[in-house]
Amino acid sequence: MKKLFSRGIEHKKARWGWFLVLPSLVFFSLFSFFPIINAFYTSLFRKRLLSLRPPDFIGFANYEYLLKSPDFWNSVRATFIFTLGTFIPIVICGLVLAAFIMSRRRFQKLFQMIFYSPAVLSSVVAAAIWLLIFDPRGLANQGMNALLGTVGRDFKWLATANMVRLSTILVYFWKYIGHFTVIYITGLASIPQSLHEAARIDGASGWQDFWHITIPLLKPTTVLVSIMSMLQCLKTFSTQYLFTESGAPTGPINVITLNIYNTAIRDHNIGRASAMSVLLFGMMLFFTWVQFRFSRSGGEVDYA
Amino acid sequence: MREVPMKARKEQSLVVDILIWGFLIVTALLILAPTLFMFTASLMPSRDIVRMPYPWIPKDLYVQNYWHALEGNDGNFIYPRNILNSFIVAGSISLTTVLISALTGYGLAKFPFRGRNIVFLLIMATMMIPFEAIMIPLYLVATTLKMQDSYLGLIMPFLTNAFGIFLMRQYMLTFPDEIIDAARIDGSGELSIFWRIILPNSTPAVAALAILTFRTQWDNLLWPLLISQSEEMKTIPLYVVKFAAEKHTNEGAMMAAAAIASIPIFILFLLLSKYFVSGALLHSSRKG
Repeated sequence: MKKLFSRGIEHKKARWGWFLVLPSLVFFSLFSFFPIINAFYTSLFRKRLLSLRPPDFIGFANYEYLLKSPDFWNSVRATFIFTLGTFIPIVICGLVLAAFIMSRRRFQKLFQMIFYSPAVLSSVVAAAIWLLIFDPRGLANQGMNALLGTVGRDFKWLATANMVRLSTILVYFWKYIGHFTVIYITGLASIPQSLHEAARIDGASGWQDFWHITIPLLKPTTVLVSIMSMLQCLKTFSTQYLFTESGAPTGPINVITLNIYNTAIRDHNIGRASAMSVLLFGMMLFFTWVQFRFSRSGGEVDYA
Repeated sequence: MREVPMKARKEQSLVVDILIWGFLIVTALLILAPTLFMFTASLMPSRDIVRMPYPWIPKDLYVQNYWHALEGNDGNFIYPRNILNSFIVAGSISLTTVLISALTGYGLAKFPFRGRNIVFLLIMATMMIPFEAIMIPLYLVATTLKMQDSYLGLIMPFLTNAFGIFLMRQYMLTFPDEIIDAARIDGSGELSIFWRIILPNSTPAVAALAILTFRTQWDNLLWPLLISQSEEMKTIPLYVVKFAAEKHTNEGAMMAAAAIASIPIFILFLLLSKYFVSGALLHSSRKG
């Protein structure tokens, strides 16, 4: 009797469980799984936006075209330069800033708030602010001239290829450094204080403590920060979009997302844009996998 | 290791101390500078903004910039409408995300059923699908369903998200089963248990998720760029981009438009910074 009763409850619970997750399942099927499958399917066709003609099946011709197209490789290059140029400094500077903040006894919260504040702004707002800062008469030139002791030199922040790249990287770095610093701070705070004390008693200097205790124990946080910041950089769009819309040269900062958008909406080439989407998805999966492999091979951190 | 005399060591650590403080303060000022630039420039006439060196303190508050920003280059006052749109879209999405994520998270945390782990994994797998990769198919779906240029179209693809479900599930896992069972024995229905016991007891997670979602959507550029066609259905980021593209007309007004876009979020940040930062932290718990 008891068994029957409990099975009845189990059964009822299972039904409720399904009922509760059903809305999400329907949602993800329609708005995540179907579109990604559809992206792959569409990438096999020659399909134009707004065209009434039925799309022609062309197999992998879109991919073939992309892999031979200098324009696509330029986008890959732009994306990689941006990603490497942004996420590596973020991973390093975020750690340094977090360690410095944690080494202070006072104002920890205040510094966190200040460093985090740019992350609160919209990315278009951030890009708009920097657009004016990078103006020939703007703060960026004034600051650089003061720093280098030159007078009236124009660094062409938004004009030459490498400077435009640097400019987008600066915007992104400024906006997200605080976010990742805060994550590092949680990681640092989770390292038991007793380990630092033990190291100090054994005669380790502050630097040795940081290098031999903090860095190895912080590995999970470092992996997390690098995966998150890298994936975010691979998807960058707003800064580049606003800069090109405001007259910056497109070529050097034509990142993949921007290229997808322009190919689909400006050139109406849905098939090719879909192929690019699938390649972007593949790249992101690949890099996540690589970083997970990297982090696993080092072994787990054990505080015990 | 060479023994360092006590006094020298103390002096050395004082120097290090001052250097670290100096570094932190300079970095903090550098990080604050662009935001300060936005707010100060929004109150200056354009000729002051491009003056070298930049004056930093507005001489007299040039509020006309805000008027120009709201009025727009066409003088049709579309910005207030766009701001309203942003509130409607970000607000509705935060609401649905919290509700659906909480329901699903509760189901995954407290109701054992066959296939539960697979369902959870499937949902988590969607985190790996970047929106940028599915925006074109989504756009085609939205066009077929005639959802372009409507609130429904703007809201639909973001009703919930895997991270929200993960967050809610993790939070609800710690909720004691005894209380739920006691409520069942008292004769409460499952939905009323959810509504009266589970949801009110999840406020920290609910608040963090609501704020995170609101911010993300307030910032969303790509989807509205695809889906909004008429000026009336545009959101703040689209307006700022358009205004910036025509910036040579009026830098002060451009910064005013940017400031208006930032003020609601900054107010939220100053009032609820706990949840902003904990949102960032919760983001890091993603690893599980």
